[in-house]
Amino acid sequence: MAYEVVIGLEVHCQLRTDSKLFSPAPVSFGREPNHSVHPICLALPGVLPVLNRRAVELAVCAALATHCKVHTSSVFARKNYFYPDLPKGYQISQYEEPLATGGYIDIPAGGDADEGDGKATKRIGLTRIHMEEDAGKSIHDSEVTGRFATHVDLNRAGVPLLEIVSEPDLRSPAEAAVYLRTLRSILRYIDVSDADMEKGNFRCDANVSLREAGAREFGIRTELKNLNSFRNVELALGSEILRQAEILDDGGSVVQATMAFDPVSRRTRVLRLKENADDYRYFPDPDLIPLVISDADVDRIRDELPELAQARYQRFQDQYGLSEYDARQLTISRELAEFFETAVAAHGVAKTVANWVLRDLREALGERELEDAAVTPEQFAALLRLVDDGKLTPKSARGLVPELVESGGDPEAWMRERGLEALSDTGVIERAVDEVIAAHPDDVDRFRSGEQKVQNFLMGQVMKKTKGKADPAAVRELLTQKLGA
Amino acid sequence: MPDSRPLPSVGELRRALDAGELSSVEITEASLERAESIDGSLRAFTGMRSEGARGDAAASDARRVEGKGLSSIDGIPVAIKDNMVMEGEPTTCASRILEGFVSPYTGTAVGKLRAAGAVIVGRTNLDEFAMGSSTEHSCFGATRNPWDLDRAPGGSSGGSAAAVAAGIVPAALGSDTGGSIRQPAAHCGVLGIKPTYGLVSRWGLVAFASSLDQIGVFARDASDAALLLGAIAGHDERDSTSIPEPVPDYRAAQTGDVSDLVIGLPREYFVSDGVDAGVLDAVRAAVAVLEAAGAKVREVSLPHTRYAVATYYLIATAEASSNLARYDGVRYGRRADDPSGLSDMYHRTRSEGFGDEVKRRIMLGTYVLSAGYYDAYYRKAQQVRGLLARDFQGAFRLCDVIATPTCPETAFRLGEKTGDPLAMYLGDIYTVSANLAGIPGVSIPCGQSSGLPVGLQLLGGTLAESTLLRVADAYQRLTDHHEARPTAV
Amino acid sequence: MASLARLTYSEEETARLAADLEAILDYVETLGEVNTEGVRPMEHVLPLETPLREDRAVAAMAPDRAVANAPVAKGFAFVVPKVIDGEEEG
Repeated sequence: MAYEVVIGLEVHCQLRTDSKLFSPAPVSFGREPNHSVHPICLALPGVLPVLNRRAVELAVCAALATHCKVHTSSVFARKNYFYPDLPKGYQISQYEEPLATGGYIDIPAGGDADEGDGKATKRIGLTRIHMEEDAGKSIHDSEVTGRFATHVDLNRAGVPLLEIVSEPDLRSPAEAAVYLRTLRSILRYIDVSDADMEKGNFRCDANVSLREAGAREFGIRTELKNLNSFRNVELALGSEILRQAEILDDGGSVVQATMAFDPVSRRTRVLRLKENADDYRYFPDPDLIPLVISDADVDRIRDELPELAQARYQRFQDQYGLSEYDARQLTISRELAEFFETAVAAHGVAKTVANWVLRDLREALGERELEDAAVTPEQFAALLRLVDDGKLTPKSARGLVPELVESGGDPEAWMRERGLEALSDTGVIERAVDEVIAAHPDDVDRFRSGEQKVQNFLMGQVMKKTKGKADPAAVRELLTQKLGA
Repeated sequence: MPDSRPLPSVGELRRALDAGELSSVEITEASLERAESIDGSLRAFTGMRSEGARGDAAASDARRVEGKGLSSIDGIPVAIKDNMVMEGEPTTCASRILEGFVSPYTGTAVGKLRAAGAVIVGRTNLDEFAMGSSTEHSCFGATRNPWDLDRAPGGSSGGSAAAVAAGIVPAALGSDTGGSIRQPAAHCGVLGIKPTYGLVSRWGLVAFASSLDQIGVFARDASDAALLLGAIAGHDERDSTSIPEPVPDYRAAQTGDVSDLVIGLPREYFVSDGVDAGVLDAVRAAVAVLEAAGAKVREVSLPHTRYAVATYYLIATAEASSNLARYDGVRYGRRADDPSGLSDMYHRTRSEGFGDEVKRRIMLGTYVLSAGYYDAYYRKAQQVRGLLARDFQGAFRLCDVIATPTCPETAFRLGEKTGDPLAMYLGDIYTVSANLAGIPGVSIPCGQSSGLPVGLQLLGGTLAESTLLRVADAYQRLTDHHEARPTAV
Repeated sequence: MASLARLTYSEEETARLAADLEAILDYVETLGEVNTEGVRPMEHVLPLETPLREDRAVAAMAPDRAVANAPVAKGFAFVVPKVIDGEEEG
């Protein structure tokens, strides 16, 4: 049977703050257990929470960047459950009155962030955005803890998180992954979060169900917990969709449950059934008065918000005359967009810079992030100017990009060091042209009888002879001259 | 003062210190000796801080000699209820579950007392986690009423009330969630004030019901209370519910004049049904004294009063069930022996560590918040709370101070109500409304009924502590009920 | 309900508790008489907004102090009986 896949995602991302959400303890990563705690993080008797201003501002930024309505008043509630790494026996979160509701983000349609034509987008609704505190870490690894013990480290306890809940608007695992990448790129754009999945500061739970194609009612859903890489999101959803489809094909019905994904076996398994679910007994936290964010506060934060990908994408087309495709690709990350703009300012021709950035710079980067590259936009622009001035052939320039990315430096110095200066001595080029013409009489005849494309072959031979250093324009001119004569 | 005699008031001790008649070390020794000689039978304290107190007293004496006294309570011994943390000292909340806990930090109110030079001599007994009205629900055993050792001192701050009444200390801190300062003050014949919610920081006060808890003061008289309250009040950035207002000079406001005030008598509180006649007589006589001093008296109405106790128990237990979830045997306190697994650790740690009354309230609160009951109980109670607060706003448009009995009866016998929790709860009928509305209240001795003290409760609007302490002081200038001393110790 | 609160009751205790709670719940039923239509629940008595703290981190507690009160600790971590994957997780 044909099913339609219905997916909604809940993303938890860590807000970029120095101190925790309700405690002045430092936020740190990778420290020894309980080296980053305060009496509040330990839930000692008598401690009280006080809200972190920066966390609120970052949360509002994220809400504005995703077109949510920021509520003037929102309420922190206690979510009550017992777990050793939850020190108070409740998590301070937002429940009935969240910070923001009703937003959306546009993602490239067709389920591929990189290869879309930049035209078609799909709008994914956001149900709500709220703030909450993270729990601590339970260490189950028996090699550390011994067979009968679990260790509890509260360094993470109280770290500020943003929970972003999407509408069930996603229709495939690939689309879910594109949504996640787009969301992550937005959060990074506005500097709200590192959104680094490996460090656990960008985590995802997924709700997934199937329904008969064309049906209006949603099917029974399961919740996949703690998907900790983009790849796992796709794999887990794929595996769970297959599992549900098999059940439905056999005439059975899906049981509402919380599932875990095992990346090794690539299968999902039931963690617990929904009917045994905890009753969280949410109620407004009496230690915290409602959070009030005035319209003026929202306006101030909006003014300080960096330009978002979507706006920049439009501007790149208008201001630089770029194609939709190039504009989309260049605005995928804030770093790339800013690199491009700085390079254009130094170089002058947007289209040239765009081509080189999207093709050669990206290729040289490979899996690396732009922040990790040594090359500056100014150096990159200088490299392109060498090409413009005929001092460096495009081929030689291309060969230099990986080294620039790796080590940075003055491209002209690199060029000299490698002896890559383009040949401008027409005598040398002319000799090479003459030799090629003499060595390929048949091809010369074919060209003269009208086969234009043979000229490219002959040009290639000349370039080969000059080890790529000859100025291609000069070669073409000489060839045309001599063959036409 | 070598033998065990009750300590005089803060004011008298201050005069003696300033006159060079006594040193803080001598006063502190007298306090410790008084405790030593009578606390075996009174059980007002869960622990003394003898060495620390002696050191603090010596330091205070050194300051005074150099003319560098910190405040008018510098060198004065004070006790704190054992639900307020102090660095390096145990905090037990009279619960087995906090066995062995030593606080690594100091709460704001205690810190302010110490910064003012007060000498903390010990921690006082309470109903476990401040849940109770008799100080019988303590893992250390019940505190006795200094007026009659077979009777309860009231609660939950019964230890502090008894310690002040018996003259072990001239003043003490308590906490009041539904009457836990005012009711034991009434039963022990001392003054007890619960300030406006948010006046005194709750940082370092072990939470029972966070939206109702408030730290306050026990003292012999209103001028001592003014000094102590002035020392501990004020805005604290560590408590999000702390009021950002400057603290007035409560002592300076005590002019003895009440002629500009209107005293309201809520008709719903002066009903003979269920109220001890001797209590009503004493309270009416006290109001007559104030009227004779120039205050106007009129009737007011607080129509939702009869719903206050039910509202209170729903809200307080709901918050408590969540506040007490942290006692799980993981990070501090007592853990059950040899747990067979995580679930067993949780269940046995909590079942063995908490007493019956605390468990009863956790169960009630858990039920009240659970899915399907939240609206009917918790939300409904918070709505009624809004109506109760509105009642007071209406009444305070017609009067400055409301006068009521603090309790419907005088101190009851130990064990008299422990078998009937509901009867115990109903004794809080006059006190819980102030916590629900967040307004201040003070209980002052206003005579006796059958040889036991009776408390007059004065309630004021938000931040009306100055007015309340002015009225209490004026009353004490005209009467001597606050001079009456218990005879059983 | 007891399990939600992580408390254990014997049969006899359960009966007594049930009777106590029933009496209390009967009593609080009186609230049903009050017309609360349109009344906003009063979770806070203060007409204040929640204050905000500047994002400045203080020094962390010394780790030995952080675990000083722990019934069982090892290498500055709190130690609990082995948690079975998914057990009681939120």
